[in-house]
Amino acid sequence: MTTQTATPLGKKPRLMNKRSGISALERERARTGRLMILPAAILVIVVLGVPIGQAIYRSMEQWNGLTATWIGPSAYTHAFSDPTFWRVMENNALLLIAVPFAVLIPLGIAFLLNEKVPGWKVFRSIYFMPTAISWVVIGMVALRFFAQAGPLDSIFSAFGLGFLHPNLLSNQHQALLAVGITFVWSMVGTNTIIFLTGIATLDPSLSEAAQVDGTNAWQRLIHITMPQLRRFILFSSMLTMISAFTALFSLIFVMTGGGPGYGTTTLEFFIYQNAFGQSDFGYGALLGVVLFVIMAVVGLIQLRLLRVDD
Amino acid sequence: MSTSVETSPLKAPMLSVDAQRAAMRRRRRLRTGLLLALMTLIAVVMLYPFFFMIVTSFKSENQFLNGTGGFSLSSWSQLAQALPWAHEMLNSTIVCACAIVIILLVSTTAGFAFAKLRFRMSNYILTGIVAAMLIPIQSIVIPLYINAANLHLVNSYFGAVIIYAAIGTPFATFLMTAYYRSLPDEVIEAAIIDGAHYFGVFRRVALPMSVPALVTIAVLQFIQIWDDLLVGLLFLQNPSERTITVGLGALAAGRTTNIPILMAGSLVSAIPAILVFLIFQRFLTTGLTAGVSR
Repeated sequence: MTTQTATPLGKKPRLMNKRSGISALERERARTGRLMILPAAILVIVVLGVPIGQAIYRSMEQWNGLTATWIGPSAYTHAFSDPTFWRVMENNALLLIAVPFAVLIPLGIAFLLNEKVPGWKVFRSIYFMPTAISWVVIGMVALRFFAQAGPLDSIFSAFGLGFLHPNLLSNQHQALLAVGITFVWSMVGTNTIIFLTGIATLDPSLSEAAQVDGTNAWQRLIHITMPQLRRFILFSSMLTMISAFTALFSLIFVMTGGGPGYGTTTLEFFIYQNAFGQSDFGYGALLGVVLFVIMAVVGLIQLRLLRVDD
Repeated sequence: MSTSVETSPLKAPMLSVDAQRAAMRRRRRLRTGLLLALMTLIAVVMLYPFFFMIVTSFKSENQFLNGTGGFSLSSWSQLAQALPWAHEMLNSTIVCACAIVIILLVSTTAGFAFAKLRFRMSNYILTGIVAAMLIPIQSIVIPLYINAANLHLVNSYFGAVIIYAAIGTPFATFLMTAYYRSLPDEVIEAAIIDGAHYFGVFRRVALPMSVPALVTIAVLQFIQIWDDLLVGLLFLQNPSERTITVGLGALAAGRTTNIPILMAGSLVSAIPAILVFLIFQRFLTTGLTAGVSR
């Protein structure tokens, strides 16, 4: 998105004065430009950039917020040999299973909306509305929904499955499923909007030509429509993955507090627990660095993949 | 969409035109009905939490626990005592407004400079700022907290406002840069020839043209900051400064067992963001898809 644009102002003067130096107008332009980016640059460097450096340094310390002793890079090997760390990472990995659902369900919904049945705009607003409410509120309702004798229980009973008593949240190995379902539900609005935008960019003539050639609807979906939506599917998958790793703090805080046991403790929640629950700031910082590295890798992959089809 | 008109031309002569049309209409109506039913089912799933909050908030605690019907205003009359929502919503509004103003100021100026006043290294600086979007807040929250504590900025609006502003700046700058790049250079060149300064061109020409983008950023940021828990939880711990979402989170973590009161509080806290959403839905859509559409 950076390259396709018009030439910046003053490119012409530079070409003309290649040898004789830069014109006064261009000097003023550059000076004004530098001044105008300064506030944004300072804000980002001071509040986001410096702390990530501090986090890397502090991750190699035994640090309780007041006194610190240097450990060095062995802090990482020590952390990686801790089974609890891997238990938490396993939760993150399991949450990734929710990503395809959180992408494909909205994709289907977007196609459904795109049929433009009378009143579809109202439905679009309804599906999109949960995007506006906080994870705290969503978690609060989800907690009751999955509770013993809660609505989910009643739904199971109504279908004659009452004996199952799906009390997900009280089971260390099932609570994450409840978090995952809630997560998929919350992503529906955002991803549906992304796909609706994507479907609007489709070139109908391609599909029509394929129809004339005698292909069926399924073939057209797989070979014509989906490739055109590739960019949007990628974007929404990445967004969903990033959300799964970094946006669920409030949901977990309200729904499970990370439990039962470590059942729903993900990396981002583990950071909070260690730092602000147990004053182990050094270990918290280390976990933060691990999370940052994972997100940076995801980001680089995204950049790479999105650029390829440019 | 297209399948309903796929009547095979070979069979056509066998039916009268009228009968054929009637069959087509019937099929189309059946299809519409099925689609509507499916869409309604999804709507029920998406609206369920709102329904649950509303219904539960109008029950007394006993009515809720016993699962009996009935209507009670008791949770609403006790709400203000459990959750000082009016004061906390005022806090939310102050924090949101200040952070959004800062975000708009720094992102519009920077966006204009990156798009129209490019200078040596400016593209690298832009990449650096946009890359900061990848820093998860959880990764920096510990150093941030210690830094803020050292500067006595914990439990002041100012600390939280600066952090929210910084978190929102990379995306806003990205959006504004893309927006200003789409403005034709001629508009600015003309103003410069007329003797305006570059900053004057930004303030009097470019800025007024970018109102839709400003609204998009403001709406996105409002919802994000209003709904945030983590930063508020750590940097606005005092009940006197805490935002509504933090108040609600604290109430839930305090294991308040009165669920109708919790639901009434949830509902109240969600109303402003929902209103903003309903009014500015169009702008929100643009903002969310800005990352893909070229």
